[in-house]
Amino acid sequence: MLKTIFPTLTRFRFAIQILMLFVTVYGGALLGTYTVDRISQALPSLACAFDKQTGDHCILIVTQHQLHHRIGEALIKAQEITYKVFIPTLISVGVFFSFFFFLNKAFCGWVCPMGTVQEVLYRIGRRLGRPLQRFGPDNVGMVRPVKWLMLLVLVLGLPLLAGMGVADNEFGDPYCQVCPSRIATTLLTADAEQIALRTSTGVNFFLGALGNALFGFVIIAALAVRLPFCRICPLLSWNALFQRISPMQLVKKQHDKCAKCGVCEKACPMDIHEIGREHGKKAFHEDCTLCGRCVEYCPDDDVIQIRFFGIPLFKSSRDYYKQRVKLETPEGLPKNRVIWLKQAKENRNG
Amino acid sequence: MRANKLARVVIPVFSLLFVSSGYGAESAVVAAPAQQVMAAAEHAGHGDHAGAGGMSGMGGAGKSTAWTAFPTLKIRMGGESRERRVATVVPQGIVASSIDAYSNNPEDAMGHRQLPLEMAGARLDKPESGGFHWLAAREEQDAEVRIASTVQFFSDRGGKNPTAMFMQQKHELEIIPQPYPREHSRYRANEDWKFLVRFNSKPLANRKVLMETMNGTKAELASDAQGVVHVRLPDDFKAEEPKKTAGSHDHGRRSSDFVLATEYAEGGKHYLTAFNASYGPDAFYQRNLAMGLGFTLLGMIGAMPLLRQRRDAKQATGAKPAMAGNANNEDA
Repeated sequence: MLKTIFPTLTRFRFAIQILMLFVTVYGGALLGTYTVDRISQALPSLACAFDKQTGDHCILIVTQHQLHHRIGEALIKAQEITYKVFIPTLISVGVFFSFFFFLNKAFCGWVCPMGTVQEVLYRIGRRLGRPLQRFGPDNVGMVRPVKWLMLLVLVLGLPLLAGMGVADNEFGDPYCQVCPSRIATTLLTADAEQIALRTSTGVNFFLGALGNALFGFVIIAALAVRLPFCRICPLLSWNALFQRISPMQLVKKQHDKCAKCGVCEKACPMDIHEIGREHGKKAFHEDCTLCGRCVEYCPDDDVIQIRFFGIPLFKSSRDYYKQRVKLETPEGLPKNRVIWLKQAKENRNG
Repeated sequence: MRANKLARVVIPVFSLLFVSSGYGAESAVVAAPAQQVMAAAEHAGHGDHAGAGGMSGMGGAGKSTAWTAFPTLKIRMGGESRERRVATVVPQGIVASSIDAYSNNPEDAMGHRQLPLEMAGARLDKPESGGFHWLAAREEQDAEVRIASTVQFFSDRGGKNPTAMFMQQKHELEIIPQPYPREHSRYRANEDWKFLVRFNSKPLANRKVLMETMNGTKAELASDAQGVVHVRLPDDFKAEEPKKTAGSHDHGRRSSDFVLATEYAEGGKHYLTAFNASYGPDAFYQRNLAMGLGFTLLGMIGAMPLLRQRRDAKQATGAKPAMAGNANNEDA
């Protein structure tokens, strides 16, 4: 029965993503106004606090506020660093970790509403016959450090400086001001407030303009690039800090065929070429979102596995692979299905 | 040729941005309502992130406020040393010896406390559980009963749902928010909010409810058959730039106060209850939708080249488009 409804891991993951999209975007409306105060307020995904219907909050807004209002303030006043200052931050990280511990970076690949929106757009892009733009092994390294820069500057640095009074107060939550999830999730609740640019000060205007332009770029780029924003998302780097200590792991064994196959690399939406070329810890790269596509598209038995406490939850198999490629290419192009624009173009050309 | 194409795209975008900035200035003026002449005591501040917080500013216990004759409770975050987990509650327009404080965990030992009133007001320490606190002061003289109430929110993770606490009977005549804004949200101008009017836990239908704001708006409302009064908060803020300084921690938010009050007589007694809270300007105050859309469009245009098929890739693979998905990997 379950196999009929969810014939592939991707289908199962997509169902979870849609479910979590409702929880993270409309959860407050579905589960009660105050749900957001009760669940965690430290979710390892971009569940936006600016969305008035959200079911939980992203860890990043809590971190920025605590650095802004508590740690920065306390440091500059040279007050005693008491449990009233650092404990709340540690609790936030602890609550985040209690969620993260079990699912690891699957929060990115299975729960994050922004990831779901981008994946849906990419699927639309396939139907529209748009090209696939990828980062190759030679240039993917250029974009990877950006997520760490986003975390250090926008999530940690500027809020702390604002709390210390060094930076302007508007830098209290700079990441939220540029985060495309803020605009995407609020638009999904028919709320246009966040896409309207704040004009009160130059800093507000600058951050808002940057955020809106980034949002516009991401929603168009997502038609041709897989998960364009995820690659620079500070939550990807934040989650990477704890990646190795979770019992949920991606495991890859060494295999002779890997050097010339490379199908898993094509299947990876984050262009992690290490998955095809490395094995062991190096194959479970910091950018991995545990989406499981590399496992689905590995044509050899048991070479790639998703394990929980060492127990395989899902592992590669040749039979599964053969079924999988009949439905969709590793790059996500559906087979034997209508490609809207391509077909229209071909019809026009006679 | 390519430059011409670029110009055709860029010029309209910048024209749109230019026009929209003019539109923004105009809309800010239009937003200023007539009754703003009376606005006098606006203030910035947002409590503990909440907007969901109470009213800021201080006054002497028992003194009536300039903007309303109804009893109110004013709240200032922090005690004498500005601690974050402490609030000071000051009753205004009502004579009371203590403040009743209910947390959203009624079973907790701190679920209901009576806070003694001192010169500076009543000190509310955040208990271990519960982010929302219902605060009330009661005065009874002869056959007159006056009640002031408000809600204070302390940022709290995993706190209980406050609905049960809001709905438990705390006084005879009550005005209860349905719901109260949660964290990262607050009452704002031009928004509709519901409040339940009830006496001894029974809804009061068709009851007159008066609303007054610190900015000078007065309105008469009425509860419906279920005892619910629908309140649209007025957009009565003055159009002026908020003052902000680095490290002020107030996010530059403007806010003002409103109070809802109703009366009821039963058993030879006359009851007057008031619920007050703070509210902010309209959601689009100092925001410009056209400019927002303009910059979004700019970002979209920036991503457009990604949607084009690469000609060199086309030539390299013959007539076949450079769609990596076309590869048949079945035989890998």
